[in-house]
Amino acid sequence: MIGDFVVKGKYVGAEVDRVDAIGKVTGETKYADDLRLPNMHYGKILFSPYPRARVLHIDTRSAEALHGVRKIITAKDISGNNLYGYEIHHHPLLVGEGQETRFVGDSIALVVAETPEAADQALENIEVDYEVLTPLTSPREAKAEGAYQIHPGSQGNICCRPELIHGDIAAGFKNSEVIVEHTYFTSRQEQAFLETESGVAYVDDSGMLHIFSSLQDPYDVLEDVCYALGIPKSRIHVKGTIVGGAFGGKLITTIEVHLAAMVYLARVPVKIVLDREESFIFHPKRHPDEIHVKVGSTRDGKIQALEAEVLSDAGPYSGRTPEVLGLTVSALVGPYGIPSVHLTGQAIYTNNLDSGAMRGFGAPQAAVARESILDKLAGTLEMDPLELRQKNFLKPGQETLSPVLGDSPVSLELLKDQILEKMGPLPEVSPEQNKRVGRGFCFDMPVFDVSAIPVLGKSGVGIAVEIFSDASACVYAGGTELGQGITTVLAQIAAEELGLPINKVFVEMSDTWTCPRAGRTSASRLTYVLGNALLLATEKIRNTLLSRAAKMLEVSKDELILENGKIKAKGSPSKGVGLQEVATVCSNEGLKLREEGWFKYPEDRYMYGHTFMASAADVVVDLVTGEIKILKLVNIHDSGKVINPILAKGQLYGGSLQALGYALTENLIVEEGKLITPSFSEYLIPTAMDIPEEFVADAVETPYPTGPYGAKGLAEHALNSTTPAILNAISNAVDIDLTTIPVYPEHILEAIRAKETDHQ
Amino acid sequence: MSHHNIYLMVNGKRYSLEVESDRSLLDVVREDLNLTGIKKGCDKGDCGACTVLLNGKPVNSCMVLAVQADGKEITTIEGVARDGKLDPIQVAFIKHGAVQCGFCTPGMILTAWALLRENREPMREEIQKAISGNLCRCTGYVQIIDAIQSAARVSRVNNE
Repeated sequence: MIGDFVVKGKYVGAEVDRVDAIGKVTGETKYADDLRLPNMHYGKILFSPYPRARVLHIDTRSAEALHGVRKIITAKDISGNNLYGYEIHHHPLLVGEGQETRFVGDSIALVVAETPEAADQALENIEVDYEVLTPLTSPREAKAEGAYQIHPGSQGNICCRPELIHGDIAAGFKNSEVIVEHTYFTSRQEQAFLETESGVAYVDDSGMLHIFSSLQDPYDVLEDVCYALGIPKSRIHVKGTIVGGAFGGKLITTIEVHLAAMVYLARVPVKIVLDREESFIFHPKRHPDEIHVKVGSTRDGKIQALEAEVLSDAGPYSGRTPEVLGLTVSALVGPYGIPSVHLTGQAIYTNNLDSGAMRGFGAPQAAVARESILDKLAGTLEMDPLELRQKNFLKPGQETLSPVLGDSPVSLELLKDQILEKMGPLPEVSPEQNKRVGRGFCFDMPVFDVSAIPVLGKSGVGIAVEIFSDASACVYAGGTELGQGITTVLAQIAAEELGLPINKVFVEMSDTWTCPRAGRTSASRLTYVLGNALLLATEKIRNTLLSRAAKMLEVSKDELILENGKIKAKGSPSKGVGLQEVATVCSNEGLKLREEGWFKYPEDRYMYGHTFMASAADVVVDLVTGEIKILKLVNIHDSGKVINPILAKGQLYGGSLQALGYALTENLIVEEGKLITPSFSEYLIPTAMDIPEEFVADAVETPYPTGPYGAKGLAEHALNSTTPAILNAISNAVDIDLTTIPVYPEHILEAIRAKETDHQ
Repeated sequence: MSHHNIYLMVNGKRYSLEVESDRSLLDVVREDLNLTGIKKGCDKGDCGACTVLLNGKPVNSCMVLAVQADGKEITTIEGVARDGKLDPIQVAFIKHGAVQCGFCTPGMILTAWALLRENREPMREEIQKAISGNLCRCTGYVQIIDAIQSAARVSRVNNE
């Protein structure tokens, strides 16, 4: 165990203001697009107009001749591999003559110009001859025998095929008295961060490439720029700027390789900012899935067997798909104890928009299928859906089937009690109003990365801390501030451990020059992994300071405590020395005041930590219009100790509203490989008018033994569990099976009519 | 493209500018005046990240041509804090956790500021309606609405 358990420290567990808030409320915070450099030029990307086409010829002469155009770059100008990509380097930076495009986000040429207008004009003047080819736009079509291979050698266009088998599935169904099955279809969800992909880069006079961009993983950008362009890693400095939202969409490299190529070849500083339509096209989305699920149970509701097949649209590139689909498959089990499971997934390459990471990372799709089929099973058994869940809750000590550590105290019963209390009685509507109310539940076991996933040897997480002679401190953390509040969480922990006021702690984030390697900002991982690394680093500094102070005060080090900028003897409060004085002495004597902490989970196996989550929704459905109104939505999580309750609530509200959009409005439509919904007036994310009438977020805090102060990770949770709660509430209100999300009013009316026809 | 000489009163300061007729107020404020607090989220009037107050009314500055703003008073987020002192709305946004990534925050605060000028005691529904043109993807809006209500209370007390 690292760190002491404290119920509430001065900062840890307290509602501390965000340390980055003032810049954000005054407009002083600089995002990537707010940065300016002398002689800065503007970069634009020519994207393929076709999802699949062979590039026959590219003529850049008339574009190059335009006033204000500095450089046009095509594949033949790239001296490196011209490829990048997470784990598999098969994403071309630029598709060259003779090569085929794989989707409409593939790049054909890069323009560097003095003004954005000149760059736009150059784009229009690049002449490209294409041989337009028929794209593969459905996973079924793409996996059929004889379909062309989007990546040569990818038999059946299979990107990955995860499987989770446990127990004897045949016996499980044999022991089942009731079997239900259904197929669920989930939509392609767009992250819809407000800040589009953007960055600024330049090469300094020593030849160092500096990239400042909106990203989630500066280390992956380093890998990609090195591989695609052949620039040594030691010559690349990546600084993640303050990010205007990401939600997984900036997890793999976005525009940085393009930007680096422009800067290197045009020899001027360059800025790229994608416009909204380009952004919608460019980054990977949440995978649209088709999930067939079959569950068998005894008559009294003990689930015996769970079988499912997931068919997932990987889009053109691998990226995060294998990890995402792996999680979809394992999340189908959820927080339940099931004796036999057989779960398989297939992700298939297509020429549609790319698929990858989005908050929840495959688990929201699984939760939709799992929690919907549970309600269907409850209906068949004529059992209360909550009772069915409770009967099958994972029990303390019971083996977990999904790749989770299983070391978390199980708090499902507690969550259930809390959520029932918060929900209160079901509201009533009078029947003549043609409205029906319904309630739905979802329980979930959201995972977080504890650094036990050996991702290309990049799992260890470092942090550095320095205390200065004026008793102020700096934390250098390679995670990225996406808005989630990690900067504040780390400042809270450092201030607590070093006995400093929080305004004396500065946290520098996401910089490959100053911060030890910390990996990606995803998988709800930073509080746990960086928090633990920070405790290791501050412990070393505390030791140095306390040892030196012990000599100064002529007492044993063990008798000293560090708080409020002072080192004091426990027994005799008069005996003390200011931290500034001790730090100055240490500094003058050449003692080490900058320390690194490196955290790595002791086991090297593919394992996540896990948390628990419960959501419930009350809805009212209008039988005439099909309109859905959410009366109440309650989310309660158990992510261990909560370091900052205000930030934690923000994670629940925000994730929950994204899930509400996923349930009811959000669908990024792609037809024949082309985007049909390229703006916020077509792709509808929830506005302030769409929030539930009553919206509750709360926590149960079961301390986690290996977490910093008992904390686990928290970020993705409510996205997993809100969507099914809403779907089940709608089903409950009007007694229909929902198959596809998003659920529009017309779907509800159709289902009601179909049911009435069945009854006649 | 024709050029026009215009002047803008931005945050109480007068700027004389020569602008092309097709340039948006958003681009001119961000690029020519270097006031980058307002954000470009969509450039289509869908998201509200570029909200400024034009003669006291919130507008999407991406949908206003700079020439249309000639002679008008503009308040950007940089003009909300006075003499280095945060406005009660800004304080409330910090205290209530209404800020996450911060990209919608400047526009959201300006919209709230205009609302509280018109309506000193807004109901939650009125706040929801007022900010419905300002998209936020991070917060789920709850803490933003809490912050605006709290700022209204603080302002009423301060004015009494």
